[in-house]
Amino acid sequence: MTAINRRASMPGFLPYQMRKTFQKNSKNFIRPLIALIVLMVIWQILCPPGSKGLPGPMQVIADTWNPYIINPFFDNGGTDKGLALQIFASLQRVAIGFSLSTVVGITLGIVIGINKAVYEAVDPIFQVLRTIPPLAWLPISLAAFQQSNPSAIFVIFITAVWPIIINTTVGVQQLPQDYRNVAKVLQLSGFEYFVNIVFPATIPYIFTGLRIGIGLSWLAIVAAEMLVGGVGIGFFIWDAYNNSLISQIIVALVYVGVVGLLLDRLVSYIASMCVPAERK
Amino acid sequence: MTIFLEIDHVEKVFDLPNGGSYVALKNIELKIKKGEFISLIGHSGCGKSTLLNTIAGLDVASKGGVILEGREVTEPSPERMVVFQNYSLLPWLTVRQNIALAVNRVLRDKPKGERRGIIEHHLDMVGLRPAADKRPGELSGGMKQRVAIARALAIRPKVLLLDEPFGALDALTRGGLQEKLMQICEESQVTAVMVTHDVDEALLLSDRIVMLTNGPESHIGQILEVPIPRPRERMEVVNHPSYYGLRNEIINFLNQQKRDKKRKAQRLVAGSVAHLGLEKTTLNIGFLPVTDAAPLVVAQERGFFDKHGLEVNLIRESNWGAIASGIADKRLDAAQMAAAMPLWMTCGIGNQPSIPVITAMVLSRNGNAITLSKGLYDQGVRSLGDLKTAIDQTPDRVITLGVVNQASMHNLLLRYWLASGGIDPDLDVKLVVVPPPEMTAALASGKIDGYCAGEPWNSRAIAEGLGFVIANDLDIWPGHPEKVLGVREDWANQYPETHIALLKALMEACEYCDDRRRRPEILELLSQPQYVGVAPAQISPGFTTPYNRGNGEAPQMLNRYHQFHYDQTNCPGRVEGLWILTQLARWGIIPFPKNWIEILERVRRVDLYGAASRELGWPDAEPDRKPFQLFDRMVFNPDDPVGYLQRLTIHRDIRIEEVFLDDPVSVNG
Repeated sequence: MTAINRRASMPGFLPYQMRKTFQKNSKNFIRPLIALIVLMVIWQILCPPGSKGLPGPMQVIADTWNPYIINPFFDNGGTDKGLALQIFASLQRVAIGFSLSTVVGITLGIVIGINKAVYEAVDPIFQVLRTIPPLAWLPISLAAFQQSNPSAIFVIFITAVWPIIINTTVGVQQLPQDYRNVAKVLQLSGFEYFVNIVFPATIPYIFTGLRIGIGLSWLAIVAAEMLVGGVGIGFFIWDAYNNSLISQIIVALVYVGVVGLLLDRLVSYIASMCVPAERK
Repeated sequence: MTIFLEIDHVEKVFDLPNGGSYVALKNIELKIKKGEFISLIGHSGCGKSTLLNTIAGLDVASKGGVILEGREVTEPSPERMVVFQNYSLLPWLTVRQNIALAVNRVLRDKPKGERRGIIEHHLDMVGLRPAADKRPGELSGGMKQRVAIARALAIRPKVLLLDEPFGALDALTRGGLQEKLMQICEESQVTAVMVTHDVDEALLLSDRIVMLTNGPESHIGQILEVPIPRPRERMEVVNHPSYYGLRNEIINFLNQQKRDKKRKAQRLVAGSVAHLGLEKTTLNIGFLPVTDAAPLVVAQERGFFDKHGLEVNLIRESNWGAIASGIADKRLDAAQMAAAMPLWMTCGIGNQPSIPVITAMVLSRNGNAITLSKGLYDQGVRSLGDLKTAIDQTPDRVITLGVVNQASMHNLLLRYWLASGGIDPDLDVKLVVVPPPEMTAALASGKIDGYCAGEPWNSRAIAEGLGFVIANDLDIWPGHPEKVLGVREDWANQYPETHIALLKALMEACEYCDDRRRRPEILELLSQPQYVGVAPAQISPGFTTPYNRGNGEAPQMLNRYHQFHYDQTNCPGRVEGLWILTQLARWGIIPFPKNWIEILERVRRVDLYGAASRELGWPDAEPDRKPFQLFDRMVFNPDDPVGYLQRLTIHRDIRIEEVFLDDPVSVNG
């Protein structure tokens, strides 16, 4: 009690506290900030105003301030929408595709992991399929679905599903003998074994797969949208390029990068909620 | 004794990646009563955990099996709950959930409220209520082990299996948990089998301690009863008069096994294990002219040596001393020996250095008799009691009896027989060594008044009207080992393939000898001058024709008088070897080796017998190690040889000493 009172009565308490926080996080804040500024300066020097080719950072901000930076939510109909809405459209596709691949990937992964014969049968096939670049699937899916939106979703699905399958399979295969012995001695039924042992023990592996999957999905969606068109950040970039609006591309790239980072952090946050601390 | 859990001749063979196989457990036979606490102790790698997993059903025995309450164990089951070495708690469940998982599954027929009660009761029992909602990651090792024990006990198993349950804990925690476990086991009458490294832990908790020898072919070396009454207190146990004796026995056992391990490792380095066929094809094998040389004669004459690629010179010796020296100075490669000779030579004859001699097969069983002179018959001696009376009545006359060798079964059986009738074989009569072919002549000349020898030397005396058979070994110890094949240990290590080939040839010859239809033809072979050289009529009693005791009784057909193959005749069992050791020590011929397990492991090579049997496609198991008795019903317990020696009233000074054997590898080098 006395400590708190003394601290509260101390003059300049708030600045002290802020300074403290600031000092603590200086490594996380200050150094990246300095690096960013340095990069900007170099960029600005390399691309001075009036030069041809890429615009400098000042130029980019000037070009896109209104409406792209200050109003991400404008909607002029058609594909002329704010960046937030564009991102949102892309995220929707990712959400659908990624959800599908999560469900399919985990299910298949567990089936393959439990059954050695199945694993030996399909593993070589999967090893080949997973190396196919996402965009190579696009023509096939366009041919199959005849529509652009399902095709883009399919590309997301097919991109994200491999790492989820493979990591889940490994997780099941790496199930410690100890846990299996416990299940055998207790004579757990198939369902109980799955719910109480296989699934919880595999969760860390599944989340590794999900993190890789979400990263790949985000990589794929931009490329896919460039080709299939419609509202979405990918097509926005492609459209801007066709109109020689380089500044818009650069702003869009910043958005893409930040969203990708956020997606990754979101999955790992969920993972940390699901996986008890001692098992990481 | 009602048997609750039986480990029935369990054998476990692992296939090796190089196509070979590793016999981890061999012929484990153990019967466990309800409520008994058994510890398995042995050096690491001896297969203790494999045995435990076999009981649990997590491992399947290659041969034999486990029987619980009359039903064979085929799969893991909660009635045989395991407390695993590393606890095996599920880290994503709390303490309570871990216990609940087991209880809800196993006792699912009980109402929910009762199940909850059981869970809470067991949480309290191991004192984990404050930690009930914690996950295993937040617990100390001791707490985790308590959860594992609570989980195991909560489902009321019939058998509790513990795999080094306290191995990873500090001494203080371990002590507390041991007492807790003991208390719980006593309260709920749990039958438990525990694997442990800790001698004191085993003594504190167990009713019996089963000591396993090193692998490969790990088997039960000795079983110790812990006679300390229950309930036990740690301090009471430590102060119990038998505590340090038992503790020393376990330590002694473990030390022997440690030496054995070192020796095996050295041999592995020294010996180049190349299977290039026979290392040596021409062998000199010594034998004595007796009926039970039949397997050697048959192997020679009926081509069994040939079949296995061996060219053998059978060398007829006149007495056992010549055989022993022939083996000692390497003149002979192998020899027919009296059953006790390999043990006797290995432990050192008199003050001579030890010559490690091994035997991997018994060539024959039975075939001996005790013949007394006509003179004693005329005095009215018909039984052992009569002999005792005759000796007591004529104190001025010393009865002299012949034996063929100190280390022969004849000597040991005659002495045993005399002593059980109250006749001290060294004080009341005089025993002299006479070579078997000279026995009848010695009896005729009155130099001796009787003898114990193999055939045909008894039948011959009867045929010549010199004496009568007062007892044969079917009366004393039916099925005792009589002649064995002896080779030097270094010879066996140097020529392993040759040795196995020799064993196979002789085992097939032994089978041939036990075929009744072949006996007449074998009889002809034996009577040839280069073998026994006695008329067939004198060899035939007991071999092909009824046996005449020469005491006026009608001759009797004795089907097992010469036994060469049936009933695991050829297995050089360690239990009978131990009996021989006790008798050699009883009469002061050798000291009783304190490291008797080590001596028996080295001399009586059941592993080589097994290897040869398997190559022939025959059963390779050793007879069960269990107590047996001779005609006088004195029980010999293979787990307490010293106690047996002390119970025998007539004996010389018994010395119990450690017998250190020279390492055969260093002798070679």
